[in-house]
Amino acid sequence: MPEIPAGGSAMLWVVILFLGLSLLLYCLLAGADFGAGILEIFMGRDHRRTQREIIDRALGPVWEANHMWLILMVVILFMGFPLVYSKVSTYLHLPLTAMLMGIIARGCSFTFRHYDAVKGRSQRLYTLFFIYSSVWTPFWLGVVTGALVPGGVGLSRAGYLEGYVWPWLRPFPLALGAFTVSLFAFLAAVYLIGESREKIIRERFARRAYLSSAAAMVSGGLVFWAAQKDGVDLAARFMGSPASLACVAGATLIMPLIWLGLAREWGWASRVLAGAQVTLILAAWFAVQFPTLVKMADGHDLTFFNAHAPEATLDQLGIALLAGSALVLPSLFFLFSVFKSEGAGSGEQ
Amino acid sequence: MAVSLGFHIIFASIGMAMPFLMALSHYRWIRTGKTVYLDLTKAWSRGVAIFFATGAVSGTALSFELGLLWPRFMEHAGPIIGMPFSWEGTAFFLEAIAIGLFLYGWKRLSPWVHWSVGLAVGVTGVLSGIFVVCANSWMNNPAGFEWFDGNALHIDPVRAMFNPGWKTQTLHMTLAAFEATGFAVGGIHALLLLRRPGSALHREAFKIALLIGSLAALLQPLSGDRLAKGTAIRQPVKLAAMEAHFHTERGASLLIGGIPDVAGKRVRYGIRIPYALSFLARGDLHAEVKGMEEFPESDWPPVLVVHAAFQVMVGAGSALAALALAFLFFSARMPRLLLHRRFLIAAALATPLGFVALEAGWTVTEVGRQPWIIYGIMRTRDALTPMPGLVYPFLVFTTVYVFLAAVVAWLMVRHIRAADKEFPSASASAPDRPGGLHA
Repeated sequence: MPEIPAGGSAMLWVVILFLGLSLLLYCLLAGADFGAGILEIFMGRDHRRTQREIIDRALGPVWEANHMWLILMVVILFMGFPLVYSKVSTYLHLPLTAMLMGIIARGCSFTFRHYDAVKGRSQRLYTLFFIYSSVWTPFWLGVVTGALVPGGVGLSRAGYLEGYVWPWLRPFPLALGAFTVSLFAFLAAVYLIGESREKIIRERFARRAYLSSAAAMVSGGLVFWAAQKDGVDLAARFMGSPASLACVAGATLIMPLIWLGLAREWGWASRVLAGAQVTLILAAWFAVQFPTLVKMADGHDLTFFNAHAPEATLDQLGIALLAGSALVLPSLFFLFSVFKSEGAGSGEQ
Repeated sequence: MAVSLGFHIIFASIGMAMPFLMALSHYRWIRTGKTVYLDLTKAWSRGVAIFFATGAVSGTALSFELGLLWPRFMEHAGPIIGMPFSWEGTAFFLEAIAIGLFLYGWKRLSPWVHWSVGLAVGVTGVLSGIFVVCANSWMNNPAGFEWFDGNALHIDPVRAMFNPGWKTQTLHMTLAAFEATGFAVGGIHALLLLRRPGSALHREAFKIALLIGSLAALLQPLSGDRLAKGTAIRQPVKLAAMEAHFHTERGASLLIGGIPDVAGKRVRYGIRIPYALSFLARGDLHAEVKGMEEFPESDWPPVLVVHAAFQVMVGAGSALAALALAFLFFSARMPRLLLHRRFLIAAALATPLGFVALEAGWTVTEVGRQPWIIYGIMRTRDALTPMPGLVYPFLVFTTVYVFLAAVVAWLMVRHIRAADKEFPSASASAPDRPGGLHA
């Protein structure tokens, strides 16, 4: 495990904090937006219209803002850890391109579905694009993230397959892709319960929350198995650090509480618990990974401490992030308080 | 890459300028209570929603694509020129929040708060644009670092962001966005007015759009002049290519049109205006203007493309400036002529001109910088990703963008047709109905 140098600039820590925060909020907010699209696949014929309207209303005002956390991550990597940005985009070109296609398809089809002036046959096509790209995109997000772990990145002199395909086409990244999809669906189901006033619809979403939490557990197990296959002893690494162990234990123990909350219709408390669970999973992950960002095939892993930009750049990035969040966070709070406060029903246009 | 950027630049420009058109109409609605302004604001806001969403995802794709295609460039450029991108991230974030509040806030927000968030969409959009163009300007005028042996040392991100070209280039781009959007929107409404003379909605839309477009079109030549003077000093080979100016001379003449013959280092046909180039580039009739011959041919950009694009930009810009003068004169002195058939036809014909000029101008600055990706520092081919088989992702992205452009155009046609039916003020002889804020 790479050493963490003593000292280090304070701004580096600010930058690391914001990178983690952006990833977390992207998963909690934009993840749920993807999840809503995933749930649409499993929507029965009855009440389909109502459920779709709920999803439309829940996502409409906020999805673009939620999506911005990804942009922030890219900017932080590009400016703060340029080597990571350039290696990842070179060797994971293909899964990143796949993810981008999904991002474009999802955002456009969602907007077109809502704003096409003629609500005709084209609606079905938009929906088709919307729901499948909602599965496709988080899957590739998981694959890209997973590919950073087993250490297959960076074999440029080898052939095309060794350099650009095998780093991500292996058990661990694929399993992480599946896990990401089910986790996002789970988040969406829990969040959406509170968006509906009708009991029958709320029950629908609650049932989907149970199912997707089961799917998340199964695919979570798959991740451990796949890690073993890829030569990463994930279980041992989770046990190895007290912080990650505590996070894993917390995430597991919250599960029954979430089920209870779903059964008793706790509303906001369920959302907070589900969010906390995802936060703990990411925190556990962060604890075992830290400070490695990309495990490279040649053993020269890229870490927060050896791949960062020069001091002067980190200072400017930190200032921009701190000042930017002083502007963004209150605005974001205002946005959510206008559209997500209790009793905020319909009311568009 | 070029296709993505060429596509994104249109969406970004509309995203910069359109909210201001909307805010002007929205302001008049709140002030006068005339429903025509409410209808217009709503009709425009739906268009903006489609353009913003498409622009936002195409922008996201770009932020990755830069790395996918030019990893070596991004690796070196990141620490130096990441700063405007970090600010652009903030502005873009605020824009996304504001647009959510604006589009869905009609019943949730008080009228003036609602109007303010609408204006905030425009302000943050313009700021985003300025930040991005700062980065592009750095590629033309690298500053804020020292280059030793293929590595950047002594990095100063603040000096890189505020490089010598940032003011002129951001001003030129911002004005271009307003000019192109104003005339495109005004032209479409002129066309609709020709079909339905007397429609209040299209009349007001036409006036607002052309007002903004005209002001930008008249300021643009001044900003272009500043930019050209800066280019003459900092990128003389680009200026020489723009003018197909092969031989260094004093009292150089300005070339209009003409076909450059690169091998023979001369220009066929074309009109020459004596001394004009020296005057425009240096502010002195007898100043020396460096020709292409001063530079090794390996550093030449494709002269034909740059020269042709420059001619197209100036030509389209001049036509729009003439239209702008007519519009402002008619507005002040002869308002009747504004809606005269011939003027409307002229405006309708000018619909694409602003965007033609914008794309041509972008070609001038990008192709004119070749063979460099960072002028004088890094060559474009050295920045390219080592991944083989690049033609496939290229084809995929191109197909996606062409397809998206077609879909958005189709959606706009449907939107305009539907708005014509939905809003009474759009029909032929609708009087301005009075109506309260909550009508």
